[in-house]
Amino acid sequence: MCFKNLPIEFDSSGRATLKEGVSDPYSYRTQSLHEEQDRLLELLARNGYIRNVDFDPVTRVAGALAFHSVVDLENRKVLSTNSMATLFRGYEVILKGRDPRDAAYISSRACGVCGGVHATVSALAIEMALGIKPPPLGILIRNLLLSIEYLYDHPLHLFLLAGPDYSEQLVSATNPTLYEAACRAQTRHGEMHGYSDVGQIMRDLNPLTGKLYVEALEMTRVAREAYVLIGGKYPHPQSVVPGGVAVTISTSVLNEMYLRLQRFVDYSKKAVGIWDEVFDFFLEHNRQYEYLGWRPATMADTGVWDRPDAYDASYENCASWGEARWATPGVLVDGGLVTTNLQHLNAGLEEFVEHSYYEQWEGHRFKEDPNGLPLSPHHPWNKETMPKPGKQSWRERYSWDTTPTWDRLPMEAGAYARLYLTAKARKLPPSRFLETTGASLRIQLPKAQLPGQLLEWRIPRIWNALERNRARAYCIAYSTMVSIENWLMAQELLRQGETRVSTRFDIPSKGSSRGVGFWGAGRGFLSHHLVIDDGAIGNYQILTPSTLNACPRTPWGTPGPYEEAVLNTPILEDFDEPDHYQGIDILRTIRSFDPCMPCTTHIFVDGQDRVVTREVTTCACGVE
Amino acid sequence: MPAAVLIGTVGYHNLRNHSLGPILLPELQRLPWPAEVLVEELNWGPIAVVQRLQTETSLERVVLLGARPSSLPEGTLSLYRWVGGLPGPDEIQARIGEAVTGVISLDNLLVVGEHFQAWPPQVLVVDVAPGSEETGASLRPVVAARRPEVLDWVRRLALEGPEAAPQLLELRGDTWADRQIRELSSPSRLETPRWKCSKDV
Repeated sequence: MCFKNLPIEFDSSGRATLKEGVSDPYSYRTQSLHEEQDRLLELLARNGYIRNVDFDPVTRVAGALAFHSVVDLENRKVLSTNSMATLFRGYEVILKGRDPRDAAYISSRACGVCGGVHATVSALAIEMALGIKPPPLGILIRNLLLSIEYLYDHPLHLFLLAGPDYSEQLVSATNPTLYEAACRAQTRHGEMHGYSDVGQIMRDLNPLTGKLYVEALEMTRVAREAYVLIGGKYPHPQSVVPGGVAVTISTSVLNEMYLRLQRFVDYSKKAVGIWDEVFDFFLEHNRQYEYLGWRPATMADTGVWDRPDAYDASYENCASWGEARWATPGVLVDGGLVTTNLQHLNAGLEEFVEHSYYEQWEGHRFKEDPNGLPLSPHHPWNKETMPKPGKQSWRERYSWDTTPTWDRLPMEAGAYARLYLTAKARKLPPSRFLETTGASLRIQLPKAQLPGQLLEWRIPRIWNALERNRARAYCIAYSTMVSIENWLMAQELLRQGETRVSTRFDIPSKGSSRGVGFWGAGRGFLSHHLVIDDGAIGNYQILTPSTLNACPRTPWGTPGPYEEAVLNTPILEDFDEPDHYQGIDILRTIRSFDPCMPCTTHIFVDGQDRVVTREVTTCACGVE
Repeated sequence: MPAAVLIGTVGYHNLRNHSLGPILLPELQRLPWPAEVLVEELNWGPIAVVQRLQTETSLERVVLLGARPSSLPEGTLSLYRWVGGLPGPDEIQARIGEAVTGVISLDNLLVVGEHFQAWPPQVLVVDVAPGSEETGASLRPVVAARRPEVLDWVRRLALEGPEAAPQLLELRGDTWADRQIRELSSPSRLETPRWKCSKDV
């Protein structure tokens, strides 16, 4: 039984039904936020040390995110939080009524960083809806492209976006004693990264001038070069199509790719070494950093990297092909493994709009999934996107993000979720380079310029901001070795004369079908739910990692992951008076999620034909 | 033959006048260029563009075509020579932050290229004030009417260099608004940064 809150039960043969005797099975009680806001206003009026602290926009994240908090600067506590997605992602509206073949190209534009995965997830949804199974080489090439996309994304986030938070410039400005201690702290993995003390690492994390910053920029080039060899261009590839990829693969192309991939073998060792040093130092210097951005390890992930001998694109078999992936899909609640079954993952999804700028839709077209699992009226296959711009209010609506839940729980998403779930579930396919223990994931990196190394990522005791970033560093190694494993398999197929990379398909002009693409972006969980009606897209719903992470409160008052993590964050910054407070702990927490509020999206304001592309015009000042 | 001139178009798609670069790209590509002239879309991120430029070591000139948001009347055509200069480090970091997270901006491209010393000796910009933002695949009439002139200026600047336009204005990177975006956001809202040119048309 994986559902504790949704009214779904399973019989002894595993068949799911709605619980008997529940008159309105999907109802829920909404909680008013007025009382809480009144109490905060009173506190703010009475105490000078309790302040509104707004970050608008939050810098060094992708796209338009604003964050409101009320902070007690005397007791060093965060009292209240609100996460605001300040742009409407209109892709669901844009895609409706179009030819399904357009979806991969259009949805790719949902993100200027990870457009490749949107194209792929779109292709997966169409494959499921129309029963298209790609040939084995097509599946492997897709795996390669997407792991390379992660190799572009993870260094970018770690060293260019989150990294400066741990640099000499920022640490000495916000916690000068911490930086002084770092300069005295000897490193443990000097042979892998060449640094003898943590202060040196912090100096090389400095933006623009730091060697690690500049090196990460160079590594994004290496990854992009590897990607475009097959993807054609990046971030919006032209060769990703339903049924596989639309390119000719040869040994020489794969060899060109390998030249780039192998550079990540040593870079993985270095990146993991660097971040282990930095985060171990923070935690040893002040144990309170264990609570920086902590929240229960309650996460969802779609799994990634299909096995060519398992993936058949069908919904009926998605539980088995999902569990066969090199990264296991599933759900964790407070660190406990709840399910690894993609059908359960799908059936437990709902989206709520009580605190978002959307109208509640009517209707409940799909009461069950194709296997008979009950679906909520709030499930993405049943959802309609009906934007309704309005006044910003902490009491009512304050975000363009919806509130997705699984089994009525807000879920965290991230590259780290795939590491955590895979380590925990122990369903990893046989691998030359990877091994799970139930408490860790072991990654064997071969010798290159640096000696071979066995890395082991261990499930942390407390899930916090530092551990999110640490896990992301290990994901560089994880993605590298999955790439190499898939590269070897692709070479073997070519050697056997297997060169087919795509499957032809037709779109029926009559009838309805539905599919869902499940595949993680660099930042984690990504799903595209698709309904095809008479040859055109009848409904299209995208759930991105930041839809999950940045969500406003649930209708029953539970904060979203950013909101909860910041609420739990101790204020560890050094400051002598409230006016000098800068908010580094809050920003470190938010950035640890690798926020990505798709930034190239456009707002369509109904009836005005007005579009805003970049300029964020929200202001939290004065909002009630 | 190694490329000596790169013509690059910059801008979001489907934003009418703001998409001037992408809209005119196919026409530019159809013009009969000498072998040493390349015409490319440069929308795919300033960092990637920098890395692309670093592989074209023989370039002498880049001509960029775009529609930079400004307060100038819609359709105002401006020709600039990029003379370099950089804002403060925090501002550069902010531009790089936008560059790596998908924002398409000619201004960002110029400053990021300058920071990484990627530009060849001559960087020339053909810019048409786009007016207000609006969705659509085509130009509005005012800007559409300037299409032949715009294409002609791109062609002349690419082939003849700055000598083709004695009235070139200077565009520089160190005239960013006096306010520096702080690394840590302040409680108040940060204003949208604007570029300044040395004089308006």
